[in-house]
Amino acid sequence: MALVENLHRRIVSIGLVPKFISKLSQLSLLCCVIGLGCLVALLPSDGQFRRTYISENALLPSQAYSYFRESEWNILRGYRTQLDIFQHVSTIHDTNAEVSKWLQQFGVKTAVYEDEQYGETLYGIFHAPRGDGTEAMAIAAPWYNENGEHNTGGAALAITLMRYFSRWPVWSKNIIIVLSEDPKASLRSWVTAYHTSLDLTGGSIESAIVLDYPGVSDRFDYVELHYDGLNGETPNLDLVNVAVHVTEHEGMKVSLHGLPFSELDKNDYNSRLKTMLLGIKDSVLSGIKKCYGNEAFSGWRIQSITLKAKGTQGPHDVTTFGRIPEAMSRSVNNLLEKFHQSFFFYLLLAPRFFISIGTYLGTAVAVSVGFVLAALNQILNNKYAGLPLLSIYNIWSVLAFCIALTFAFITSQLFFYFPQPVALLSFNVLFSALPLVLSTRIKIQKPFSYRFKAIAYLYMAIVLTSLLVLNFSLALVMGVLAFPMTRTTTITNSNVFLSLRNFALILASNPFIATWAVVNFVEPTLSGTRVFGALIEAWQQLGCWTWFILCLGWYPSWLLVTYASIDAIDLETAKKEN
Amino acid sequence: MKLHSWISVLLLVYKVTAELEADVFPVDNEVDSIQQEVIQETRKNGTDESSSVPPSSELLSLEDPVQYNFQENLNLTPLPNNFLLASFQFYMQSETFGVNRNEHESNVYSHHTVFPKPVGPIMSQTNTRQLHLRFTHGLWDSQEWGQLPHSGLKSGGNGVELWAVIEGPSKEKAMQSWITLANSLSGLFCASINFIDSSKTTFPVSSFLPTEDDAIPLFNENSSLYLIRAALANEPICTENLTPFVKLLPTRGKSGISSLLDGHKIFDSNWHSLSIDVNTICEDNTGECHYSMEEFVETVVNVPNSLARADRPIPKPLGGDELRCDTNKPHDAFQCFPLPGSREVDFNISKLFGKKICGSSLLGKTSSKICAHVPSNWNVMVQVGDLLFTTDDNCFNVNSNEPHDVHFETSDSGNVLISKETPLHVSRALTGYGQDRGGLRSVFRNPSNQPVELVYFESLPWFMRVYLSSLALESDDSDLTLDSVVKSTFYSPARDRERPTHLERKLVIPPNSTLALSFQFDKSLLKYAEYPPDANHGFEIEAAVATITSPERYEARSSSLLLYLSTPDFSMPYNVIILTSTVMGLAFGTLFNLISKQLLTLEEADRILASTSPKAKLLRLKGKIIGLLKRNNTKPAKIAKSE
Repeated sequence: MALVENLHRRIVSIGLVPKFISKLSQLSLLCCVIGLGCLVALLPSDGQFRRTYISENALLPSQAYSYFRESEWNILRGYRTQLDIFQHVSTIHDTNAEVSKWLQQFGVKTAVYEDEQYGETLYGIFHAPRGDGTEAMAIAAPWYNENGEHNTGGAALAITLMRYFSRWPVWSKNIIIVLSEDPKASLRSWVTAYHTSLDLTGGSIESAIVLDYPGVSDRFDYVELHYDGLNGETPNLDLVNVAVHVTEHEGMKVSLHGLPFSELDKNDYNSRLKTMLLGIKDSVLSGIKKCYGNEAFSGWRIQSITLKAKGTQGPHDVTTFGRIPEAMSRSVNNLLEKFHQSFFFYLLLAPRFFISIGTYLGTAVAVSVGFVLAALNQILNNKYAGLPLLSIYNIWSVLAFCIALTFAFITSQLFFYFPQPVALLSFNVLFSALPLVLSTRIKIQKPFSYRFKAIAYLYMAIVLTSLLVLNFSLALVMGVLAFPMTRTTTITNSNVFLSLRNFALILASNPFIATWAVVNFVEPTLSGTRVFGALIEAWQQLGCWTWFILCLGWYPSWLLVTYASIDAIDLETAKKEN
Repeated sequence: MKLHSWISVLLLVYKVTAELEADVFPVDNEVDSIQQEVIQETRKNGTDESSSVPPSSELLSLEDPVQYNFQENLNLTPLPNNFLLASFQFYMQSETFGVNRNEHESNVYSHHTVFPKPVGPIMSQTNTRQLHLRFTHGLWDSQEWGQLPHSGLKSGGNGVELWAVIEGPSKEKAMQSWITLANSLSGLFCASINFIDSSKTTFPVSSFLPTEDDAIPLFNENSSLYLIRAALANEPICTENLTPFVKLLPTRGKSGISSLLDGHKIFDSNWHSLSIDVNTICEDNTGECHYSMEEFVETVVNVPNSLARADRPIPKPLGGDELRCDTNKPHDAFQCFPLPGSREVDFNISKLFGKKICGSSLLGKTSSKICAHVPSNWNVMVQVGDLLFTTDDNCFNVNSNEPHDVHFETSDSGNVLISKETPLHVSRALTGYGQDRGGLRSVFRNPSNQPVELVYFESLPWFMRVYLSSLALESDDSDLTLDSVVKSTFYSPARDRERPTHLERKLVIPPNSTLALSFQFDKSLLKYAEYPPDANHGFEIEAAVATITSPERYEARSSSLLLYLSTPDFSMPYNVIILTSTVMGLAFGTLFNLISKQLLTLEEADRILASTSPKAKLLRLKGKIIGLLKRNNTKPAKIAKSE
């Protein structure tokens, strides 16, 4: 203890604590900068990341030879030609009826799930002859992919694979084929129904592979892998590893987060940084932007990924693509237990490189610590630090927070009935301008200004810390985007420059304005105010919470800070005026 | 128990007479007389009743072989979609034995012929009067294949299922016998039946009841009979279970139809079931009893797949010229829309089972019988040596010792004998999202035109905390209410680690309807050591049993389920131990310092530190050395001075 004692005495002797308190504002900014800096500068550099490995030994990817080749190609083409004809001449209902007959010919039990809103889904269960029927693997191929292209190749591949699988005696898990109308709402609705109300079921689904091979081309260039689940969930890294392993084993290249072909071979700091940032973006916007299909399975303890064939002229043929789901199914089939429990949190820097949670979590922690320090700054660094806990200022600020929360909640609900993004944005711009407009007319008491902000930053810190492990990317992005609000200053003398600075900071940290601006910058498919409709849809169709986190986690704090930015007057002057 | 009390009375009479005889004759004579009885019985069983030669020479005579109460049949039934049901049935009977009510006369039943030697002692030791054991695996496709063989009475749910009628003076004693029985069977069949304990055992009330004509004898009028049942859904059925099954047969798989029983082929199937039923049957008038045993091995194989596997063990893609393409659709060297499997079938069962039947059983009273159940467009022939035979009813007796084979051929394998439609389809699934609670949803589909009455038996492990009040009915017919479907409920609530939830509901499913019954449950946390070694696999929930009582007797089972409980990360305890130890260490250090050290003000401490700290000590040492050196330097000068 002598060491700690010495340290303590040293701290006391050089007066570190008062220095620390007086520098809280700068330290808070420093925390945020360190967090961001670590993320950008440190994590993608050598020595910070690790090569991926297969954690569950039973998976044994690519250990069995894949036989999906040769004459299976003929059969695949046979089915594909038919599907290509159906695409033009018949409805999905009729196609489902016909495909259902094909599947039944090789012993697959089929059923059609009808959802009035999102269309019907054909699914079939191949009962594993060796299994006990308690577990299943799903292979899904939506009729239309995320871009609205007809997924002819993917659906034909899924059907051919089922036929091919039915000849193998090795299966210990049932295999489920799912042909839904689209990869988003319709597939999600089927997954929900499978766990609640379907009569034909095949046990709990362990893994799902969504096949996306639009068009009738025999050839393709490379494979795009999508793995981001909803609400920050990711599939077990083992499944992603198996997919990457198998794909590269078959000689194809893997692209993560839609990286173009020309950048796939790069392995330097820039490429890793790009993949990581794209990964964070995709994770935050998962369910909100285009859905590839794997999102639909997220959350039901199902590990899911989407395999997408890119290009039409490349060196690989469609059966090579089919060997990925084949070998992956063989791997998952080997599982006696579950996927390893500690392998769900990761950031991928390249198909074969990852950062584990212990390394990257600190960055978001630093940002939320920044908020805590900002809150402390508001409490300690003014002459009202000594106010008793139950003083009228503290009680009022808690009440004000409750009002802000209620207002935020009403906003979140109201938007479902009046989805007017322009109105929402303009209201928030006007509200941000409130301190500017009121600067000469209404003033608030100074302690209120400090306490409101303190409560706002504390709440923000609590939200971010709770969100850290659940949805790292969202917590980080939200923390960084909301951070400008901690830089607002309490002004007393109607200083125009400071008022304008406050206005800019408040405007920048508004949840809706910031979301709108950033999404417009990074995601061209959600340009304009489309992101708000997408947020609502993501909640209604997929159960993605992001809208509520914005509204209930971020908006109340912003409201409080905006109110607290109204010109303040000292208690003494206020008394004098009275 | 009233039903059988008269047997006990009879037995009592028998016992009194035996005692009277014992009074007259010396004891060893009595033993002789019993032995003679057994011999006579053997002779009675034999064909040559008038033979005067002693039994031992009968065994040696090849012209008149001894024949026993053993019968074996093989029924081969093609099913739709090129499946084939092969049902091996063996019936055997033990020698009679008197009911021994004196404890010291325990060896009355010592001579066994065709009846398996290990079964008798297990039955008598545990006072088991009826024993039913099922090993089943796979999915019986009742939509395509119709009713289960033997109306489902001979097959269990996935895994092992065991139920028995045990005689005992009290429920506790019967339970003890049951555990002994489970342990003995576990050793006998190389299965984990020994994992049956009270937390898996139920006492069924209206399911699994013995039929009316099974008059179960009661050996002691003071005791009663208990029906006890348990199932192990996570038991994989494999060859090591089949081998003991075959070993129970008098032919040992060496001759007769049992020579076809090869584990590799039997288990390479879509559905298979091994069953054993042992009954104790007592004669009304003599009070003599015998065991009768039925041993069934049933398997459903996909004929084209099995035949293809015999030729090519790996189902590689077919060669381009072997593909069967639909000529009405585009087809060329590059594409082919596949036709469904060929309906022309031509195969020998030796190819399916890997070998031929090695002649007759040589033991049975009746010869081994092979029957094919096919419509008229099938040709079934038995091949003995090089010769092929047919019969009108497609049944063949295996008489000679030549290898036998059965040949099937038809041009339309889709045409098979229509089996009766299942009176009820039952399926069950787990529902729910999280790790802490879930739901169980059973779907009943009645395809017939008459209402189906059934008893729905569920035994759920104690860690599923069932909410009976949440029972809900889902049905398209809005007039249907829960009360009109569920007629009565028997519920024995679970007790933690001691007893499973036991539910038996009498249901009536209206004609041509599908309905679902669901209820919710909580998942409880297990103790650290209660997780099995493969904790992350989840827990298997045994199949539910639907015993249909009307319009016909039938038993259907749902599939088993896999329940996830929240499972700890088992490496965590070590982290916890390390963290706790660190915290404990720190706390101890601080506390120890507080107790053992003196409290001083900062100034005092600084003063003491100034004199005792290593730095101060070093300084003092330095001073001393310097002082010493100075003295040394000055001494010679002094000497010089003095000189």
